[in-house]
Amino acid sequence: MSEWLVDAVETDLDAFHLGPVDLSLRSGQAVAVLGSSGAGKTTFLRTLAGFLPVRGGRLLRDGVDISDWLPEERSLGYVPQGLGLFPHRTVFGNVRYPMELRGRLDANARTDDLLARFHLTALQHRHPARLSGGEQQRVALARALAAEPEMIVWDEPWQALDVGARHELGLVLKDLRETERIPVVVVTHDPGLAFSLADTFLVLDHGRMRFSGGPTDLLEHPSDAFVARFVGYENVYDRASLEAGRERPFPAWLLSVAGPGGVALGNPEVVPTTGVPSTWEGTVRSARPNPEGLAIELAVDDLMVTARLPRPWPATLPAVGDRLRFNVGPTAVRRLEDGAGGVR
Amino acid sequence: MNAGPPAVRRGRRWKTGPFWVALEVALSGSLLLLFLLPIFALFTYAPVSRIVAAAANVEVREAIWVTLYASGIAVLASALLAVPLGYLLARKRFFGRAVVESVVGLPVVVPHLMVGLGLFLLILPGSPLYSFTNAIGFPVYDTIWGVVLVMAVVSAPYTVLASQLSFEAVDGRVLESARSLGAGPGTTFLTVTLPVALRGIVAGLLLTWARAVSEIGGILILAYAIYPGGPYNGPVTSTISVYIYNLFQQGDLSDAAAVSSLFLLIAFALFLAVRLAERTGWVPWRRGDLAP
Repeated sequence: MSEWLVDAVETDLDAFHLGPVDLSLRSGQAVAVLGSSGAGKTTFLRTLAGFLPVRGGRLLRDGVDISDWLPEERSLGYVPQGLGLFPHRTVFGNVRYPMELRGRLDANARTDDLLARFHLTALQHRHPARLSGGEQQRVALARALAAEPEMIVWDEPWQALDVGARHELGLVLKDLRETERIPVVVVTHDPGLAFSLADTFLVLDHGRMRFSGGPTDLLEHPSDAFVARFVGYENVYDRASLEAGRERPFPAWLLSVAGPGGVALGNPEVVPTTGVPSTWEGTVRSARPNPEGLAIELAVDDLMVTARLPRPWPATLPAVGDRLRFNVGPTAVRRLEDGAGGVR
Repeated sequence: MNAGPPAVRRGRRWKTGPFWVALEVALSGSLLLLFLLPIFALFTYAPVSRIVAAAANVEVREAIWVTLYASGIAVLASALLAVPLGYLLARKRFFGRAVVESVVGLPVVVPHLMVGLGLFLLILPGSPLYSFTNAIGFPVYDTIWGVVLVMAVVSAPYTVLASQLSFEAVDGRVLESARSLGAGPGTTFLTVTLPVALRGIVAGLLLTWARAVSEIGGILILAYAIYPGGPYNGPVTSTISVYIYNLFQQGDLSDAAAVSSLFLLIAFALFLAVRLAERTGWVPWRRGDLAP
């Protein structure tokens, strides 16, 4: 299997500029590309796939510069948003297509194998329009694999899938990565998929690369408000809203620890007694049970804080209007360095 | 029955008031009557025996044959020339595209006598183009080629328009998938773009064919009579439209009605055959439809 190197790649699409983007990818690795709408995620994938020209930098596969290669020469399983299934072909015809192009004599047998592997045999005579979302995803993946790609590039595999189908497709993608050792690049808005599948994260914002690295780095140093929210920080404050309340103690303290992009708080905990150092007090707005315990929304000096009360759940939930104290540990404060990627 | 909140139910199931139903029926009904009453008049005016006699008449059969033959060639020409233009307009952005689109619409807008007159003046006897068309074996005056020319000019716009819309409707991401799976641009066009757009193109070709068959204005000027030559080697004849026009001019109303009725039956049978072929799903352009 091959090694890919995205070396300071840049491209332009109308007025939009992407890059430079750096990324290296070995067999068995998976990259999740994150970013808000319009960040350039799809543009990046389309550049990898050869539909947009590499204007700067290089794209290397096993040391060979393939920047100028045509899409059909890149051996890349590109699955666009909406999957791009052929509406005029059956499931069988879709999966068989890449092998027809290569004139393979065992096309039918291999198609049968792939259909069986993705549990599509019973559906093989249907057209894509008559499949469920999850079934269409499996067809897209089977068809991409039929081309024996050197890398799978998938734009939003999770789109419009229910929880069960997501789980199933997650298993398939993981299996693909572990058994076939095919590198995978996915664009996703789903943190669950990103963390379960990817070992490398690429964060784009307004066409620029904000972050590239592993999951712990991403969790420790979210670059901006978008990333902080994406990876699961519930309490994210931009500078403007903190400045507005700077006269009051809690915003003033947050402002003192905030970066240019604001600040994110990791997991504030509700503490039972008063007198614990570095605690704050707020008024309960809501209390929602979840698998870990209670998520309690508190109003503190006009800011909302979601704090956690670990299990076991109390016999009676805190009532709206109750006063509770919570603690923000010094290691839970994340300075956000990038202001540009703020709240949209 | 356990009813949900009434507001939701009302939102889901539209209940149309009797006034609107009546209006809908009245409007669509009058249009259908406008279509059907003239046909009814034709069939009632001509006794069945006359229609049968018309079907047996060699002159009538020749006129019908030459009309179908010429319109068939016009449809082939449209497929060959108009589909690529539709593709160009759908996929390429170029300077003067709006002008080209308007030019395509022109033959549909102007009275077809004007199209015939224009063609006549262009290929005026004695002009270089006249000698040229004669020299390469496509004489247009009073030949089947003249009929084909007029038919193609006035009817090809329907194919251009239909194929443009069909090509535009092909999802670019489907095409990108094909490329990424290893198909070059040409293969992608032949295996994906064209098959996916085919249904709309065929609909356009059907319209083109219908428009070609019904043409008379331009033909009156360019090929009032059709002498043997080119692909037609029968006796001197005319298109069915001109043939019926002549019967009417001679005051032969019952024969005009009988021939019209006969041709209506043939046209209706042909259209019905295509629709049934689509319904059964064996034609390639209906594969993968949403409808079960």
